[in-house]
Amino acid sequence: MGTAFVVLILVAMVAAIVRYMIKARKRGEHIGCGGDCGSCHGGCHK
Amino acid sequence: MGIRIALAGNPNCGKTTLFNALTGSNQFVGNWPGVTVEYKEGKYKSNKEVTIVDLPGIYSLSPYTLEEVVSRNYLIDQKPEAIINVIDGTNLERNLYLTTQVVELGIPVVIAINMMDVVEKNGDKINTAKLSEEIGVPVVEISALKNRGLKEIVDCAIKAAREADPQSPKHRFAGSVEHAFAHIEELCLHDMTDENVQRWYAIKLFERDEKIQEKLGLSQDVIAHINKDIESCEKELDDDAESIITGERYNYIGTIINGCVKKAAKGMTTSDKIDQVVTNRWLALPIFAIVMYLVYYISVTTVGGWATDWANDGVFGDGWHLFAIGTSAYTEDADEYAGNQLIVDGYDAYVEENGKKPTGDFEYPVEDEETLEVTYETASLEDYKEAKSYMDSTEEPDPADYGIWIPGVPVFVESALDAAHCNDVVKSLILDGIVAGVGAVLGFVPQILILFIFLAFLEACGYMARVAFIMDRIFRKFGLSGKSFIPMLIGTGCGIPGIMASRTIESDRDRKMTIMTTTFIPCGAKLPFIAMVAGAIFGGASWVAPSAYFLGIGAIIISGIMLKKTKLFAGDPAPFVMELPAYHWPTLGNVLRSMWERGWSFIKKAGTIILLSTIVIWFLTFFGMVDGSIQMLEEDQIDVSFLATVGKAFAWLFAPLGFGNWQATVASVTGLVAKENIVGTLGIIYGASGDVYATMAAAFTAASGFAFLAFNLLCAPCFAAMGAIKREMNNTKWFWTAIGYQCGFAWIVALICYQVGKVFTGEGFTFGTIFGIAGICLIVYGLVRKDKYNAK
Repeated sequence: MGTAFVVLILVAMVAAIVRYMIKARKRGEHIGCGGDCGSCHGGCHK
Repeated sequence: MGIRIALAGNPNCGKTTLFNALTGSNQFVGNWPGVTVEYKEGKYKSNKEVTIVDLPGIYSLSPYTLEEVVSRNYLIDQKPEAIINVIDGTNLERNLYLTTQVVELGIPVVIAINMMDVVEKNGDKINTAKLSEEIGVPVVEISALKNRGLKEIVDCAIKAAREADPQSPKHRFAGSVEHAFAHIEELCLHDMTDENVQRWYAIKLFERDEKIQEKLGLSQDVIAHINKDIESCEKELDDDAESIITGERYNYIGTIINGCVKKAAKGMTTSDKIDQVVTNRWLALPIFAIVMYLVYYISVTTVGGWATDWANDGVFGDGWHLFAIGTSAYTEDADEYAGNQLIVDGYDAYVEENGKKPTGDFEYPVEDEETLEVTYETASLEDYKEAKSYMDSTEEPDPADYGIWIPGVPVFVESALDAAHCNDVVKSLILDGIVAGVGAVLGFVPQILILFIFLAFLEACGYMARVAFIMDRIFRKFGLSGKSFIPMLIGTGCGIPGIMASRTIESDRDRKMTIMTTTFIPCGAKLPFIAMVAGAIFGGASWVAPSAYFLGIGAIIISGIMLKKTKLFAGDPAPFVMELPAYHWPTLGNVLRSMWERGWSFIKKAGTIILLSTIVIWFLTFFGMVDGSIQMLEEDQIDVSFLATVGKAFAWLFAPLGFGNWQATVASVTGLVAKENIVGTLGIIYGASGDVYATMAAAFTAASGFAFLAFNLLCAPCFAAMGAIKREMNNTKWFWTAIGYQCGFAWIVALICYQVGKVFTGEGFTFGTIFGIAGICLIVYGLVRKDKYNAK
């Protein structure tokens, strides 16, 4: 039971991360970029 | 209806600072040209109907640079409702040159004289009422940094936008020039209803602006006709058209300055005095080296090192005492307990091995925590008796008895998983995979934040602008432009904006070369593995982290010289104009904001892409084929894991570099997803064998460790940066040339580091050393060979 609960949390966490990354990609962002987008204002993803 | 207000002005006059203050944005503010390459928009904080547009800094509306093209196109095509022309009050003459052009656009303009606090401090006086009268537009004194006059300037711009009655430029050129304008207007611009716009186009056509000729779709006949008018004017004034316009504008500005500005009589400013030393021909480079050494020394070795030790050993280790109360007493007792236990264990081992008790002194093994090196100590029977008596009477010290003990994340997670009766596989995934991998990366956050504070301070106070100036002087000697150094300065945060900043380089060849070499500079993502190598392999030596920075700069300069001598990159260096801002104390808010932006994106990456990577790496590390079936492996079996199989297949590539083991190989490969993954991967792989640092120290020698550092520092960057390279190169062949060069160069440098480094670290001269020397010869040849293409 405990294992199933932990696995469920883990799966939800991974799903949330993947969803976040897909959404970010659609917004034209890239999670792999180390930030400081102020100096390129997302131009690198266009 | 919404109002768009554009911020236009010279580079480094404070547009982005004003933009951030007006919109509440966190756009990056830099002290060098090229920070704003494209325009950006934001809503005015006090009135969401007003959109503020920050344009790239420009000196004129001529289309010579990318920034000028972007700004000019926005102003003439998008036609904002009003323009705030931001002017650096400490340098009115140069800034007004753009003003004379902006007021000709037929868009309502208001002038914001920025940095008034500095003007006042210098004792200078600007008669804004007279200036307003002379130029014919409202003038407001502001200080974007100190939030002074911001509401007034926006209110003024909104009023001008609502009135929609653009000023007519007061400046009139010489009679013959005005005569030529009239001819041009009559010939091809008479359809335009706005007289001001008509005039602006006429001036541009007079300057023979090809982009405007093209935009208006003028026929060759019309252009030839216009040329006749221009030539006749040029003959009369004995100068070329563009110089005539420039000269007239500066004459006009001269009269304005004489009437409106009173400069306080003074000698050298503090900035000038500092620059005499900091940009001195002989002292500049040593000072730069010392500054960067100190930055990395403090960030990685001292303050950052202590904070990271706490994060690694405490937060992502066993735990820590609150405010370190009780730590020293606990460490003393724990050491005493461990020492006695070693003697008792050694005695028991002797009995087990020999089948009898020792009759006199006996040896017992002691393992060094850092290097895993096993040495033997001797204990007497008396020592054993004392140790045994201590062990019988004493319990193992519990840190909780010495102060408020906060368990580390792994301990806390493990106890939570135990309480939930979690399955061993899932427990291993979470502890050995996610917590070990992500924890290894997050443990370096303190060092990253401290480094970013220093870099933000150096950028904001004006020092980094001097570095670009110093580098231009050096670069130019080798046929390179200092403009190539700007992307590298930006790349210390992240390589992607650095690659993007290369857009400002006009010469296509210089731009491509800059893109290829920008990522040599250690970015924030590379810092964790630099710190890890320094800590694990070099015992925290202070020279390692700064050496990585200087290795990056050296690689850029060497590559630049070598590549410039090839047919692909030959050509004169692009001109580089930049203004050195006065030194000033940056605001704490700006420094902290810059640090947090970069730091937060590092943390975000650890929680997303790194976390997902650790799951995959954990699976590949702890699963493998055993007896023909896929099984979960014990910690001592990971040598047959899937990851080991893949690593071993490629390890031969790195064997000449001294790290031909599968662990280092896969870490280098996973580093391509994100450079932090190198640390995450090593955290999982070496964590499986016990202490990560100790196992790593045992796996590398000094030479192979530095070669590992050099290769991962200089080889192809992460996928995101590679994507940026591909987009900026806009050519698959060029993209692969860049990646191929980076990997090839990194391989040769790492080969030299290992094979030649071995000689200096006592490993002796081997057959491989010859190849290392050959690598040095190859680079030296690339540097000194005849420059036949540029000689032409």
